[in-house]
Amino acid sequence: MTKMNRNVWLLGLLGLWLPLAASAGNVDLATVPERSTVQLTIYNSEDLTLVRESRVVTFKKGVNPLQFSWANTLIDPTSVELKFREPKVGLEVLDTTFPHDRPQTLYWNVQSDAGYEALIEISYFTSGITWAADYLAIANPDETALQLESFVRVQNRSGEDYENAQVRLVVGTINLVEKIAELAKLPAGRLNELKREEYQDYRQKAARKMMALPASAMEMAAGRTAYDAAEMEAPKEIIKEGLSEYFIYAIEGTETVPNGWAKRLRSFDAEAVPMTVEYRYRPREYGDQLTRLYLLKNDAASQLGSTPLPDGVIQVFRANGQEGLSYLATQNLKYIPIGDKIELNLGADPAVIFELVKQKVYRDNLWFQIKGGNLYRKLGDDGFKLDLDGQVAGWDEHTVYRQKIRNYSDKPIHLQIRRDYPGDVVFRSQLNPILHDFQTVQFETDVDAAEKAGLDYEIIARMGYNQKQNRVELQ
Amino acid sequence: MNRTRWLYPLSLLLLLSAAPLEALARIKLTTLPVRERVAIQLDHAGIALVEEERIVPLVKGVNQVDFSWANTRINPDTLILRILSSSIEPVLNAKVLSVSYPPNENALVWSVAASASGAARMRISYVLGGLSKDFNYRAVADHDEAMLDLAQYLRVHNDANEAYAAAEFWAGVGEPFNKPLGLNETKEVQLSRFASVPIRKTYACDPVAFGYLDRAQDKLNVPMHYVIRNAGGSLGQEPLPAGKARIFQDDGQGGTAFLGEDRGKFTSPDDELELYLGLARDISVRRTIDRSERQRIAGNLYRYDVTLKYEIENFKDTPAILDIAESVRQIRDQVRGAVNRDPEWRLGDGTLRNPDPEKSDADKLLFHVELPARTADGQARKQTHTLRLTLNNEW
Repeated sequence: MTKMNRNVWLLGLLGLWLPLAASAGNVDLATVPERSTVQLTIYNSEDLTLVRESRVVTFKKGVNPLQFSWANTLIDPTSVELKFREPKVGLEVLDTTFPHDRPQTLYWNVQSDAGYEALIEISYFTSGITWAADYLAIANPDETALQLESFVRVQNRSGEDYENAQVRLVVGTINLVEKIAELAKLPAGRLNELKREEYQDYRQKAARKMMALPASAMEMAAGRTAYDAAEMEAPKEIIKEGLSEYFIYAIEGTETVPNGWAKRLRSFDAEAVPMTVEYRYRPREYGDQLTRLYLLKNDAASQLGSTPLPDGVIQVFRANGQEGLSYLATQNLKYIPIGDKIELNLGADPAVIFELVKQKVYRDNLWFQIKGGNLYRKLGDDGFKLDLDGQVAGWDEHTVYRQKIRNYSDKPIHLQIRRDYPGDVVFRSQLNPILHDFQTVQFETDVDAAEKAGLDYEIIARMGYNQKQNRVELQ
Repeated sequence: MNRTRWLYPLSLLLLLSAAPLEALARIKLTTLPVRERVAIQLDHAGIALVEEERIVPLVKGVNQVDFSWANTRINPDTLILRILSSSIEPVLNAKVLSVSYPPNENALVWSVAASASGAARMRISYVLGGLSKDFNYRAVADHDEAMLDLAQYLRVHNDANEAYAAAEFWAGVGEPFNKPLGLNETKEVQLSRFASVPIRKTYACDPVAFGYLDRAQDKLNVPMHYVIRNAGGSLGQEPLPAGKARIFQDDGQGGTAFLGEDRGKFTSPDDELELYLGLARDISVRRTIDRSERQRIAGNLYRYDVTLKYEIENFKDTPAILDIAESVRQIRDQVRGAVNRDPEWRLGDGTLRNPDPEKSDADKLLFHVELPARTADGQARKQTHTLRLTLNNEW
């Protein structure tokens, strides 16, 4: 055990002849059984880690007091549980006591029907251990494929060193009613006053599935294979396994993450994920600019698809063909389910100029409201020439636009343009547009390298009295 | 855990140990692989990417490669270690196993597995704060203002607290270049030189953009510009990044005269870069709204007939072209009050009838007017131009 570890942890098997009440005395004798194995199940949606550790403890026949303390750590005292793994029968927890005078400590009285050397398992929730995914994407110089590497980074600020721990990472969102870190700060006496059932139920529910998993992984962790110098060590594999609505990443072998440290391991590496480049104008999503995107898919055809991609930061670069990189973008990647598409937003491209020119405006189909009443007349209709009391109440506003695109890059580009038109609008063009939704028009075009394009369209907005609908009609 | 703290910014240490990180001893031997090559990519608008290449000796097994960046602003999330294919003998396979980040230090430790003892070529990339760039230009026009020589400079400012004895820079335009860059140094290099670029000297008036010289007398400001088209010759291959331009003119006596400076905007190929030279005082433009008449069509629906008059005098002894720009919306708002509708207009039979189709749209009109030089007796000939507009369907 390191120095820090000793400061933090004490598991004491109190002198067997001392009754529990004597623990309040000044003279004490304790033995400190070492951890045999430890397993960390870390959730990324909450500041929550389930720790399961096993220790070998000797019990005598009769009542055996056990003390468990966790000074200067962030353990939720209500979550501490003791189980007997070997032998499974013959041992029983009689009661659990949180003493009022010793914070961050509890006592178990264990009834044993014979003398045993028992393997016990203590599990609890702690905060301060977190994990996050992050990604590195390097496009090839032609921008036809990219190398996508995924990493997981485990950060330990729990106050405790966990040595040679089997680490499992849970991808998914769970529900907690209170924060572990807050519970860890409360004295155990205060916690007893709380309505335990209310939050413990929720807490247990979150991790019940993980607890129910077979212990084989844990036992495997106990015997770490020695490093074989004869072969080159390969990066550790991260085994991905789906469970209910969650995904569990189990890191091969064991890891030591001392308190205060972070460790980053590769989760997967896809060498050449096919991708396409698209330019999109979607002001609602990307702001008022033509945005360049890399589009790829989290599926097997793209060398991906073995796992959803957890939320994480992605750094995007392009290889410049001379072993160097060009920085393109950093973005927060949202959780990508298996089979879903991945969109990497690279921002505006200075090599593509995107301008909208309003070329002409005119109005027609003018309707008048006569004398403020319910009578409406159209300008130019027979018998209606000059009415001094008529007020313009409805009209069609025609606006002719030219969408200019200049491609100064050395590659042909594909553009998709979406524009929102609230109101009763006709979109008239030869652009083969489609409706993305009832008031959003979408059209696409290709522009060759070093070429220009001008896309003409007319918007007819039916205004005032003429507005009968609230949707775009394509013509 | 005790680890030595290194005071040098950006140091790379190789701990010659195949032991796992947690077993690092207090006494250790480290090698310091030097930078073989540094490339600084400044092609992104606001970010400097530094790539350094080092030959790192590895022992067979797992090696700890420690990288620290005390007192520099490396974005640690962008740190990438790539092991490049190497021709160094013996050829070995090397792979990054994991990265560890010690607490409260700007440092990390890569665990690198090697198939044999030998050296590996590694490239470490990171985004570095404090390294910035800007562009500036020096333009020297010839005596008769038909051509100019345009020189483009890149200035790199190093506030990153790290010196680079030699680095290959690339700014996204121009050719890459090699230079050293010291601590807190600013380095300026000429990236490109465009000789004998044709220029157009323009005189312009635009009541919205440039305003009035004397509002009471209806006299408009007449700013002068050099207009350079980013096309033809050596121009037009790349955009001209935004930057300050100092403008000089050949004084005809072997020297140059300083004409002024302007901030040039980002100019993509085929676009025009306009450099403002100041106000022309020898061209006088008096603009008045000569006539505005309203005709009722029906109810509250009107048509407006508007005539603008321009009285122009060129007191220079050379001819010139004046660009007259107008905003129809601004004229409409002036004659009938502002409304939140685009004007619907038609040009009438004034002398200004043919707006420049490239530079005019639903609101903006641009006309080019030729101004003769003043006469031999020194008198400027006054020209009068009219712009007639019909504003339809106003209410």
